[in-house]
Amino acid sequence: MPFNPLEQKGVPLSEQFRSWRELNVEPVDIEGGDPYTRCRIVVMNGIEVESIMFSHQFARHTDNPEVKRALALSRRAEQMQQKADNWLLPGSDGPIETTIVYEQVAVDLTAWLARMEPDPYLKQNYDFGLLEDFDHLYRYANLLDLTKGKKAEAITGTVTEIMPGRPNPEEFRHPYDDVRRHYDKHSVDPRSRLHVMTLVAAEQQTMNYYMNAGNIPTDALARGLYLEIAMIEEQHVTQYESLLDPLETWFEQWLYHEYLEVWLYHSFMTQESDPRVKAIWELHLNMEIEHLKEAARLLARYEGKDARELLPPALPEAMMFEPNKQYVRQILAEQIGYRADGLDIVDVDGKVTKDTKIYQATVNGDGNYSQDVVDLHTERFGADYRLQPEGEHPVDHRMAIAGGSRDGGAR
Amino acid sequence: MTATPPPTLVETFATGGRTMPLSMTVTEPIRACSGDQLEASMLLGSGLNVPFIAGTLSGFLAHERAGANLYRVAAEHSENPMLVAKYGEFGRETVEHIAIYEQLISDLGGDPHYVSPAARMVEQQGAKLLEAPVLLAGSVDLVSLETAFLEAVVIAEHKCHDNWVLLATLADSLPDDAALIVRAAVEKVEPQEDEHIRWATDTWLQLATTNAEHPAANAALGLVERAAHKIKDALS
Repeated sequence: MPFNPLEQKGVPLSEQFRSWRELNVEPVDIEGGDPYTRCRIVVMNGIEVESIMFSHQFARHTDNPEVKRALALSRRAEQMQQKADNWLLPGSDGPIETTIVYEQVAVDLTAWLARMEPDPYLKQNYDFGLLEDFDHLYRYANLLDLTKGKKAEAITGTVTEIMPGRPNPEEFRHPYDDVRRHYDKHSVDPRSRLHVMTLVAAEQQTMNYYMNAGNIPTDALARGLYLEIAMIEEQHVTQYESLLDPLETWFEQWLYHEYLEVWLYHSFMTQESDPRVKAIWELHLNMEIEHLKEAARLLARYEGKDARELLPPALPEAMMFEPNKQYVRQILAEQIGYRADGLDIVDVDGKVTKDTKIYQATVNGDGNYSQDVVDLHTERFGADYRLQPEGEHPVDHRMAIAGGSRDGGAR
Repeated sequence: MTATPPPTLVETFATGGRTMPLSMTVTEPIRACSGDQLEASMLLGSGLNVPFIAGTLSGFLAHERAGANLYRVAAEHSENPMLVAKYGEFGRETVEHIAIYEQLISDLGGDPHYVSPAARMVEQQGAKLLEAPVLLAGSVDLVSLETAFLEAVVIAEHKCHDNWVLLATLADSLPDDAALIVRAAVEKVEPQEDEHIRWATDTWLQLATTNAEHPAANAALGLVERAAHKIKDALS
């Protein structure tokens, strides 16, 4: 049945604050159970963080007391939602287990969005990022096994494969090669906007997490791996945020942020297997409905626009966490040699631009922790750690592990 | 008889929005509009720069849409009943002008849902014009706020008026049948546009003069102080 959040009644804004004890939720297990429950938690944490930081940025650009108060009110509720969401993840003696979940999110979220994306340019960007996040999962899985003797599949289950993607050393690009074109707000499919915004939030959360948690390990190899991948996440955020149309106004962006939260909570509520977590998604959906209506009210009051003209009459198809193994394999087989050239992703058999070649020579000049972690695992256990229930790697293993351009050349 | 569809106030995917991908912009191929496509649909055989003309008309339409938003917001925030009434009246007329532009573009063979690169720029200019009195409303007194909305109207109306003047001038370069269509539209709208610009300029002068000659303590209050006074009045 079509679901139009603007026509729904949610939890009134005045009733959205909760006690500390209610917010300090019982966490789920980091291993076993439905791995996609953990993925949904990580996504919603990132979505809430983006929404909160957007709200803060908006508030810093206005002194209109009504707008500032409205932002502060809904932001406080968002902060509480973020706590409830993120506190569902258990604590640990380091960030690596949570990191595995983050990278599983990056793989299956990006792959699903790419599969559903109607715009070929946007899809190309998601596919490009997908192969890099896929490789991150592989590197971190090797680190987990090395440092804790744990297999990543205990966390990911077998729904996501773990094997090399675009080799991490190859992912480093000159900043100019991470800037992209953007959609046009008047002609963009509403699903595309949701997809881009979801990826911006998810990648930004991953970037923030590695920026802060990457120095928690005491082991130099682990710290180095986090450092390298944190820099790729900066590249990914640069890429994905480029796809947003800067013509969208503050109030429109606010509306779209709230709509994104409604879409995802609604999506996750319908598929959640853990009844306790499902109840949280449902509660937060009902809160977001009122945030959306408040953003719509202020959009009308301060920009003279009717939210019903900006939003589709019903929520688009639910975002689903589901296995994407065959899709990832297909993209690996077809696009492992793709590289960024300025604003575009191009099929160039691994050759990078002159700018990126110089950048890589600097950052990779005295080796890569992302390669060391695989080498050390191989040295210690006789092979790298992989999880390939679907069979052999679709492209040449040696190329995929080795890192560096196949011929080291620049265009 | 087919009913005239209501004008599109916000162009989106759902309304059939299309654009010309240029430099930093992308869109789905089915939503993309090329110069060749524009030339194949509008002012056929005229030898004119059709992409420029289509882009300019799209920009004029974008300006009217921004104007309709401006009038709605200005009316919402004014505390002067005369201004509220005029903003409401001119806002309704501006919506009619949107419909006239849409019809004009269609009659010339164009697509009113095409949002040109020039129109994107116009939209940004309009949004920023409105943004000032909205986002900085907290640090000005009510007279300054009222004046800021009115000045936004003055600026927007000058541009609006000039757009119609330009259109009338362009008509001289168009093929006869197209020129007739354009002149008919200009004739319909021009008196209203003249009135908008005259009223906006006169009112701006009058408001400034009145404020200069008649100091009023309450008018110097800002939004926060005004709200506090209202609460105090209600309680006493």
